[in-house]
Amino acid sequence: MKPLKIGITGVRGIVGETFTPELAVEFAQAFGTYLDGGRILVCRDTRPSGPMIRSAVLAGLLAAGCEVVDLGICPTPSMQLAVKWLEADGGIAITAGHNPWRWNALKFVRGDGLYLNPTQAEELLDIFHQGEFLKANWTKIKSSIAYADPISKHIDALQKAFAVDVIRRRRLVVAVDCCNGACSLLSPRWLEVLGCEVLALNNDPAAPFPHAPEPKPATMAQLCAVVKAGHADVGFAHDADGERLGIVTDRGEPLSEEMTLALATEIRLRKRSGTVVTNISTTQAIDCIASQHGGNVLRTPVGQAYISEGLLESNGVLGGEGSGGVTVPEVHLTHDSAAAIGLILEHLAESDEKISTMVQRLPRLTTLKHDLPIEPHRLYSVLQEFRASVESEGLLFESIDGVKVTLPDGWVHVRASNTQSIIRIIVEAKERTKAAELLDWTRDRIRI
Amino acid sequence: MRAIPTLKISISGVRGVIGQSLTPTLLTRFAQAFGTHTGSGTIVVGRDPRTSGEMVKHAVIAGILSSGGRVVDIGVCPVPTVQLQVRRRKASGGIAITASHNPAEWNALKFIGSNGLFLDGGQARELLDIYHQGEYTKVNGDEIRTVEEVSGATDTHIKAIIDAVGPLPSGKRRLKVVLDSCNGAGSIVGPKLLEALGAEVVPINVTPDGSFPRPAEPVPENLGDLCEAVEQHGADVGFAQDMDADRLAIVSEQGIPIGEDYTLVLAALYVLGQQPGPVVANLSTTSALADVANKFGCPLFLTKIGEVNVTDKMQQANAVIGGEGNGGVIYPRINFARDSLVGMALVLHLLADSGKTITQLVDQFPRYTVVKEKMLCPSEKIPAVLKMLRQKYEKFPLDTRDGVKVTLPEGWFLVRGSNTEPIVRVVAESQSESQAREIVARVYEQVAHCIK
Repeated sequence: MKPLKIGITGVRGIVGETFTPELAVEFAQAFGTYLDGGRILVCRDTRPSGPMIRSAVLAGLLAAGCEVVDLGICPTPSMQLAVKWLEADGGIAITAGHNPWRWNALKFVRGDGLYLNPTQAEELLDIFHQGEFLKANWTKIKSSIAYADPISKHIDALQKAFAVDVIRRRRLVVAVDCCNGACSLLSPRWLEVLGCEVLALNNDPAAPFPHAPEPKPATMAQLCAVVKAGHADVGFAHDADGERLGIVTDRGEPLSEEMTLALATEIRLRKRSGTVVTNISTTQAIDCIASQHGGNVLRTPVGQAYISEGLLESNGVLGGEGSGGVTVPEVHLTHDSAAAIGLILEHLAESDEKISTMVQRLPRLTTLKHDLPIEPHRLYSVLQEFRASVESEGLLFESIDGVKVTLPDGWVHVRASNTQSIIRIIVEAKERTKAAELLDWTRDRIRI
Repeated sequence: MRAIPTLKISISGVRGVIGQSLTPTLLTRFAQAFGTHTGSGTIVVGRDPRTSGEMVKHAVIAGILSSGGRVVDIGVCPVPTVQLQVRRRKASGGIAITASHNPAEWNALKFIGSNGLFLDGGQARELLDIYHQGEYTKVNGDEIRTVEEVSGATDTHIKAIIDAVGPLPSGKRRLKVVLDSCNGAGSIVGPKLLEALGAEVVPINVTPDGSFPRPAEPVPENLGDLCEAVEQHGADVGFAQDMDADRLAIVSEQGIPIGEDYTLVLAALYVLGQQPGPVVANLSTTSALADVANKFGCPLFLTKIGEVNVTDKMQQANAVIGGEGNGGVIYPRINFARDSLVGMALVLHLLADSGKTITQLVDQFPRYTVVKEKMLCPSEKIPAVLKMLRQKYEKFPLDTRDGVKVTLPEGWFLVRGSNTEPIVRVVAESQSESQAREIVARVYEQVAHCIK
């Protein structure tokens, strides 16, 4: 079966197979209908299917009577900020984030710059499925599209959130791998504003992705080499649209993507205690760090919209996910890798500490992730069977998103991906051998 | 009676009303079908300035890109500019986004083949089959091609015209022209061409913002402002374009519309004077064109109605000029396309060369009057109407290639069913207006009787 996911995080699929221009047109028209016309921003990452999907989205929005502002290629968080300063009613980001080159997706942002929450997303889906859209007549339809540059304002907002002068004085050497994605236009500029010596690689938005746009150790070999060769203080790796961040230490060691939020939590809570919002699939290290600093952790289902809602609800001081997404509330309530960079560099400048020594202090846990491709029609029944098996053994489990089982030596989490037809298994334990055992334990209980 | 549908999908393209039937989903599917039909090549896209043009354009671009095509977006421009660009760039095809003379709420796609001509009947049927089958070429996300945005396509067009016909002769009195572009696709390029030719231009209705200052069809009843402006400015001629700048109508120096049939007559008068050769028009064209062809001893071929029939025959006959009685002038040295810009250039040269006024030029030939009528007629009754006419007028020369055309001693008439609305059209021409009216009245009654 060919992958297409229409769900609460938007619509996502492979261009040339399931993700057709009609689908993009109708989703955009449904979104225009949902917002009853209004001003809508559109942005995209650097995938070659971007212009095709963009035109389809523009057609759908215009047909619904929307006023459209095209931001061109930019990170999704730049668009989310622009929704506010352009006083827009919403936005559509054309990006498949960390998915491979041939994928694309639409992500829907509401008037406050945050993603649609699950209820709102359900409403949008109902309009899409019903297929009855607003259709502007010739006197109402907008006859042209406006353009705006969201990057400068994004940098302005970042500058207000961090001690830029302190960072500038330190003249940090920073390597950054933009994966030829949307951050190519933001990240090197932001680092220069911070007075860094920038070693930029893969920062050509016209070139293909040099590796999977998913910042994790497996994709950061080139960045590690540049950090070592350039004696950089730190290396940063971006995904395609500026949400997830990967980190390489001053010694050229790549950190697990789970460590990005752990590091940010350590930095944030040391300065200011409060609630950290993360999903139930993210490393237990967050809880250990929080308890050291007298903070607490709020766990949500997986997905940015839940983190944003959790932060709004708890007035939290930091949000993020084990995938490398970090939310710094002073900038905005959504994942923003440029904000995460600001937070980390501010700490390096103020403390004069090295990333590698900081990492030493963090709890050392082994997290293993395993993806099981599943036929879409089996996705949820497989999950149900796993739950039944856990239940029959009388184990303690949580089910706000998939099934999370806490065991004496660690935990396992099994859930259906929001974006692909796969079952994601995450296990965590202190020892690597124990973690491997937990993974086997879990796999034994999943029958495909 | 059931409502008349506003969507028309036919061999001349797809046409509908914005906010009702012409949805972006439909448009993007049609563009995918066209991309599939052209084998994922380069496709030139241009549009008229209707308010819905930007929406339609993006739906079309998405469809072309998805089917593996490369897009050359030439922006707002006349239809003949799109056709010229297709040939100049050796593109695989073109899409002109325009509902030509239809009111502002309409829009349409017109499909152009790699030869710069509109798709012929066979090609159009292939396209429709692909559209209806719904299986379009879809290229992988990493093989999607690009959109090239081109400005200056209209400058290329102007240069092609000046290269072919030359500027107006210097040393003669500078001709003064009032141009009414109907705020259409000719608004920018029209005045530029006239200046490049060396005429003095007084432009009216040249704000291409999608508003319609008058009904788009350049027929006499819509040209009040132009007539007034010609008189007021003491101009030598008034030109009126339609929304997509393929048709041209002329107002004389006295501020009187000479009838859109006469645009081709005057253009032919100039061209045949320069270069005698075959002339092609459709069978609904004024007899004045035959008089001009006769004067130069040139053959005149009359085809079925439809631009593509005229252009096909022009190529076959190696014609030097051709067109349609609705003001469409086709000059093959530029392109096989109805082109108001070429029409203006030819008529101005005629004025400069002859030293005569529009009125004098028209009056050298017998003056004909065309009278047109239409009446509601359920489409299933049309064959019976045509059969009745064939029988009733069997003693007269008949042409039944497209409806029924009857040549009478005092003139001719043509009855045909519309392919866009449930109506029949009656056209009659005679040297006397009263006779033309009489013919129409008589035929109208016969048709009405037959329908009853």
